[in-house]
Amino acid sequence: MFTGVDLGLKENTAERIVRIVLFIGLGALPAFWQGQYALGLLTLMAVYGVLLIGLDATVGYLGQVNLAQAALFGLGAYGTALAVQAGASFPLALIAGVIAALLPGAALALPALRLEGPQFALSTLSFATLSVIVLNESESITHGALGLSIVRPSLFTVALDARGFYWLCLVVLFMSWWVSQLLLKSRFGLSIEALRDSPTATDALGIGTLRHKVLAFAWGSALAGLAGALHALNFGYLQPAAFGYDLMVMLLLGVVFGGRRSQWGAFAGAAVVAMLPNLLSNRTLFSTLVSFGCILTLFPIFRSLISRKVPAFKEAAPAVAMAAALILSLFANNVEEWRKGIFALFLFAAVVGLPDGLAGAVVSALHKLIRFTPDPLPPVSGGFRPAGISVSEPLHVLKLSKSFGGVRAVDNVTLDIGQDEILGLIGPNGSGKTTFINLVSGLYAPDSGTIEIAGTRPLPGSLMSASSAGAARTFQNLQPFSGLTALESILVCQHDGGKSEAMGWLRVVALEEKARQRCSEMSYGDLRFLEIARALATRPRLLMLDEPAAGMSKPDIARLVDLVVSIKRAGVPILLIEHHQDVVAELCDRVAVMDGGRLIALGTSDQVRHNPKVIEAYLGADDDHTSVQSKSEPQLC
Amino acid sequence: MDAKYIALAQMAVGGGLMGMAYALVAYGFQLTYAAGKAVNFGQGELVMLGAFTGISLAGSGLPYGVSVLGAMVAGAALGWFVERVAVRLALKQHNEGWILLTIIVGLFALSFVENIWGRDDRPFPVPWPAAPLDFYGISVTWPELAIAMGALGIMIFVELAKRYTMAGIAVQAVSADPEAAELCGVRSSSAISLSWAVSGAAAAFAGTVIGPVTTVGPTMAAALTLKAFSVAVVAGLDSGFGLVIAGIALGAAENLSGYVLGSGWREAPGLLLLILALALRPQGIFGKKIIRKV
Repeated sequence: MFTGVDLGLKENTAERIVRIVLFIGLGALPAFWQGQYALGLLTLMAVYGVLLIGLDATVGYLGQVNLAQAALFGLGAYGTALAVQAGASFPLALIAGVIAALLPGAALALPALRLEGPQFALSTLSFATLSVIVLNESESITHGALGLSIVRPSLFTVALDARGFYWLCLVVLFMSWWVSQLLLKSRFGLSIEALRDSPTATDALGIGTLRHKVLAFAWGSALAGLAGALHALNFGYLQPAAFGYDLMVMLLLGVVFGGRRSQWGAFAGAAVVAMLPNLLSNRTLFSTLVSFGCILTLFPIFRSLISRKVPAFKEAAPAVAMAAALILSLFANNVEEWRKGIFALFLFAAVVGLPDGLAGAVVSALHKLIRFTPDPLPPVSGGFRPAGISVSEPLHVLKLSKSFGGVRAVDNVTLDIGQDEILGLIGPNGSGKTTFINLVSGLYAPDSGTIEIAGTRPLPGSLMSASSAGAARTFQNLQPFSGLTALESILVCQHDGGKSEAMGWLRVVALEEKARQRCSEMSYGDLRFLEIARALATRPRLLMLDEPAAGMSKPDIARLVDLVVSIKRAGVPILLIEHHQDVVAELCDRVAVMDGGRLIALGTSDQVRHNPKVIEAYLGADDDHTSVQSKSEPQLC
Repeated sequence: MDAKYIALAQMAVGGGLMGMAYALVAYGFQLTYAAGKAVNFGQGELVMLGAFTGISLAGSGLPYGVSVLGAMVAGAALGWFVERVAVRLALKQHNEGWILLTIIVGLFALSFVENIWGRDDRPFPVPWPAAPLDFYGISVTWPELAIAMGALGIMIFVELAKRYTMAGIAVQAVSADPEAAELCGVRSSSAISLSWAVSGAAAAFAGTVIGPVTTVGPTMAAALTLKAFSVAVVAGLDSGFGLVIAGIALGAAENLSGYVLGSGWREAPGLLLLILALALRPQGIFGKKIIRKV
């Protein structure tokens, strides 16, 4: 079996070398590919590169379809143009462009980023349409559809010619690329990946969903403004219509075509978006390229035909789209008239056939050819620390109630948890246990009653506020950060400390061997332990475990019991929902029993077990009451 | 009454009647959203294709009613096609790829229309009388009335079909819970396809009634998608007839702001309101609040 050539290089190092070579090549290109036209195309590519790296922050990293980038690009361009008209110097004009995009971008982000999916796409689309209207109609400032002309100021004392300006754009592209990469590989970037998988978990663990989304969007907007500024200085003439829906579609599709969540992908997309209109004018070259693409899309079909399967939609559709593009490129009267249609066909083939884009396809091909040296695992340190001295009660809940429609899910519950205590919360399915934890952790706002966590009262209905008060929780239905590794999952949850501390938390739950494994590839039991480690990494003053043993194997349950004992020994009080009665009996200092939203019993495990109300609750709710089996099906509590 | 107020009322009524068309397209969004939690970002292109198909059929000498029916059949086929090529796979993979793919299919449709029918606006011929009706000084044209009647008629017809036919009940079952519906023997992919076909037919019909009022051209598509989507979101993607109210309100607001602020600003207040509505009540004014479950 061919396992690839070992270059003895780390992947990051290899990427850096190739990137620097690329930029040196791009810088030297005007010497070989001469002429004003070529230089114009290259400059446009660099500007689009900055713009698409910005767009990738939302479309790729946040996973939200952002249709406002073209408008922000336009606002940046107009900001710069107006600043130049007012006599601003070159650097000031650039800053004006960034601000002109950043401020409206922030104004849009705050309401829009509370939304998801189609609603988010729609609000950005509205913003974009609105911006173009404003640019068109504010004729006294922008001259509306007539357009705005400016003369490029000189950079300090140097009057930049076209080549000089191209190099400047390259420098800006390089910097944007580099900073984006640093930013998105940092803890900030990990948090963004995490919140894409589970916004509820990122809030509950105090990472802050909205804050990170807004920052990512703001970064994207700033880059749009910067690109817009360069665009204005490059062309010297602006018209609102140029920043409308057509450009937006091109940009969006450029990012997807190049490959999301990759600066290389954004750059590849920019190259395609800048060069494609040019390619369309050269018919022979264009048909050759399309034929080549068409042949490439046939490979997956042949592969499934060889294994005697009917090609799936995913394999057949790109070939059909490319064939249609080929027919158009050969037979249409005027290929440029069909520009949008051909672009649509390409993109259709790319989105369906290459979900990770060009960059993704190239990277996975390279991974097959070349073996990279993995980063060494960081040393293990950290773990439990002696608990800080805290005088207030970990949890004090007074007369808490919450209804959903007519159902009183939690009804007038008063409950305390003491220092160094494990409180078990049990009850039949649907008795309100999970709702109780959801209230304490801030997922729901209570209808009435108060919650005090370690002496502070968090804002009702705010996961973040409960988390900063010291609450941490796990989820009955797992909420893993599927795109992250185990180590990264811990890293994003830590308020302080680095990789070694994160390794320490993995050792606490005996997962340090699997630090590099992606959560999407981990087993169910491991993920349950990882959720506990995640919660511990926030150094909670109250840990809430929602059915941690559900669906676990016998040996795993034994491991879990040991773990919970060691957490208690480290001084972290625990609220434990559990259906395994033996686990509850073994671990809990006191047990609270809920039924129909009410607290019906509170005492030691033995006391509760012989309480007639408790026996009745279980008998009435479940035939198999003597050994209440764990049930893995989701239940609405 | 003051002439100025009459002019304003005239604007509001004309806009409100046009708004019924937005409501109808928005209704198409509701249908597909209920069935498969996806909408067509190229719905405006379907409206446009429906209108052009209607024009070509009428131009070939077919009677008006048959042309409209033909456009609806074409719209249904296109709606089905969009679901099959752009939505099904992405939804199976639980990603947002369908937003991109429906935009892409719409883009192709736009290019197709530009090259087959040309870039110029065309009138849509109708058999209605040319003279407008007069209600207390406010005039209403027959094509405008046709929008209101047609939109309401189609919505009522589909709502009845959803409640009283087996296919309609199956679609409702799938929108409530696709897996449970499958276990009861409903093929959820067929139910979703059916919703998309009906949604496409509604969009094409909207094209045939909007066309006589505005004229038909490739530029009508993008704006229509946005307006109809606004109506659907403001009303709530899952609320039945809130659409009609939201549609009328948007249409009237648009005409009034065009009259008061200048024609370039027509769409601005609606868009601003949309962003605000989304920020304050993401589930829509008439929609139900979503409870997060973990």
